Amino acid sequence: MDRVLSVLLDVVTSTLVLALVSLGLAVVFGLVRVINMGHGAMLALGAYVAWTCVNRGIPFPVAVLVATVAVGIVGLVFEVLVIRHFYEQPFETLLISWGFYLVVTELIKLVWGTDLRSLPNPLPGTLSVGGAGIGNYVAVISLISAALLTATALVLYRTDLGVKVRAMIQNRDMALMLGVNAPRMYRSVFAVGAALAGLAGALIAPMFSIEPDMGTLWLVRSFFAVIVGGLGAIVGGTLVGSGLIGGATVVFALFSKQVFAQTVVFALAVIALRFRPVGILGRR
Amino acid sequence: MPRPLGGFDRRAFLTASLLGGGAVLAPSLLSGCAPQSADNGGGGGGGQDGPIRVGVISPLSGAWTVYGKAHSAGFQMAVDELNAAGGTLGRQWEVVIADSRTEPQVVTEQANRLIREEQVDFLAGTFSSAERNAAAPVVTQADKLLLYPTFYEGQSQEFYPGVCNPNVFMFGPEPSEQVWPHLEYMIREHGGRFFMVGSDYVWPRETNRLTKQRLEELGGSVVGEVYIPFNTPQYGSLLGDIGRSGADVVFLSLTGSDTVNFRRQFAAAGMKQDFTVWTVDDEEAATSGVGPEATEGDYVSFDYFWSIDTPNNQKFREKVRSAYPDVIMNTVGVAMYNAAHMAARAIEEAGEVSTDGIRSALAGMTFDQAPQGTLTMRAEDHQATLPSYLVRARPGWTSPDDMFEVVNQVESVEPETAQCDDLPLSGA
Repeated sequence: MDRVLSVLLDVVTSTLVLALVSLGLAVVFGLVRVINMGHGAMLALGAYVAWTCVNRGIPFPVAVLVATVAVGIVGLVFEVLVIRHFYEQPFETLLISWGFYLVVTELIKLVWGTDLRSLPNPLPGTLSVGGAGIGNYVAVISLISAALLTATALVLYRTDLGVKVRAMIQNRDMALMLGVNAPRMYRSVFAVGAALAGLAGALIAPMFSIEPDMGTLWLVRSFFAVIVGGLGAIVGGTLVGSGLIGGATVVFALFSKQVFAQTVVFALAVIALRFRPVGILGRR
Repeated sequence: MPRPLGGFDRRAFLTASLLGGGAVLAPSLLSGCAPQSADNGGGGGGGQDGPIRVGVISPLSGAWTVYGKAHSAGFQMAVDELNAAGGTLGRQWEVVIADSRTEPQVVTEQANRLIREEQVDFLAGTFSSAERNAAAPVVTQADKLLLYPTFYEGQSQEFYPGVCNPNVFMFGPEPSEQVWPHLEYMIREHGGRFFMVGSDYVWPRETNRLTKQRLEELGGSVVGEVYIPFNTPQYGSLLGDIGRSGADVVFLSLTGSDTVNFRRQFAAAGMKQDFTVWTVDDEEAATSGVGPEATEGDYVSFDYFWSIDTPNNQKFREKVRSAYPDVIMNTVGVAMYNAAHMAARAIEEAGEVSTDGIRSALAGMTFDQAPQGTLTMRAEDHQATLPSYLVRARPGWTSPDDMFEVVNQVESVEPETAQCDDLPLSGA
């Protein structure tokens, strides 16, 4: 029984951490159709900003907020200077955001160097959930991830803003004709996506290696999570996709070797896309 | 420390396709314009006057950059010392540094370029076993030497020409030197049930195979053995397996960011109090990346540590502090340092800069100025006899100066004889 519970906990936390990391990507991808390859660099930037703040004596929660705002601003500037000229041109935005990734990664190397950095665990210790142990900090991150997903859902389905945004996804031209201020909305969505990446990067920093290339670790997994979950189905899609990519690896690793488990999961993702090209929860 | 080809590495793929196009094009255009002096490169090298030229291939970008700075700095530092003392045979040294980008195919290109276009007399470096295996055919064909610095999996004929190669010398430790001398200590102090976790490639697999063999002779056992694909961020299921395994010791040969991510999550899950961790990868730079709280009390074994207290190392530390204050020095940097000094002695002994001359003088050479103690290059199989240290990370360490305390040491370990078909390794 303990074993089932601890596996279940692993599945839930793996899913929620991946969902946290993927949410910014899902928001930008789902709402303004930009394949933001820069997402990985934004994660890294968030982690480095948080690291710098903590090393200046700023408490970790404040450091996370600073990272969120800072990366959000970087995203905003990038949108205003470049991205806004290329909406509706998916291939161009893919290349441009990849360029952004490379430039930011090199800048990180110049500013912070290539040495590995680390942040102390803000909440050491473990708690026991019905006999199965879990790290305090992992538990908190998972809760934050769940809260963020809930908040995103509330904004999308319970507010005026959400109505406008969803109108934009469903019928862009009609929404524009009915007076949705598209340029401003696009800009805000892109900046919010960047801020979410910064937030995620800062939050995962104490659990992971902080290095200029750290975003690449997550980019492939996040993309699979978002695409398999379903374009446009921002909250549910991200959760389902993360469950498949993150959670299923845990389950498969029970019966097979780690290498094999990861391969099987990516193969499953491809098969899922073959039969549901718009993603499991996606709509055309 | 090897890195395989063909992993699921989107960054490498995209970098190659987007940037590589330009980067690959540029040198070929340049060499197209340059005079084709390369034709005589295979034999002539730098000749017998002018500077002694060495090609150094280091991972200066890519996944293992963290180990690369010490790697090239160690060699450069030795060369600066040699030049300050008037050079060798009255000739100054020149180092040409090339970036491997942590990719074997780049190593092949760079090794060719250094030998043909830069006309170097020999090569030093490459980091992973895969990088070494990529450089070895190039040096074999051009009949140049490769001085290889990294801790590695030992030599066995099936991996020729990367090992068992008369043109390659090993300056780092292999498992019978790095691991075996400390097994009895670990079993006595912490128990003999080992859970092995490694990255999925040849170095961890061979290291674990040899460790397991010796462990079982000593009455221990392996209760779990898991290999992790490169760039795995989350370890939840593995931590669960370890937790249920009943192991005493978690024996780690994970590399790069994977070792950092694993060890941080292992600590965050509160598992440090239940298990002893022993890593054979995380030298000072990687341990710095894991941080003090997640490494406290963990064991590491190598031939060299920054904090070991030998007279040679005290002098060496002062030199590093003044020449490279920003570099975290480690076993690989020290091996590069030793390689340069021993090559200089070999050249002096041979009286000329030639592959045969250096090879026969290096074989059997003893170097007592090595930072870790005394090193002998065994003539038979080009493996180094080295000291071996087991250290434990101090609680609350702040820098490599106070990171480790030595708990077990052997002054000099003879490595197991290489599993090669033709011993001794010689030029003929």
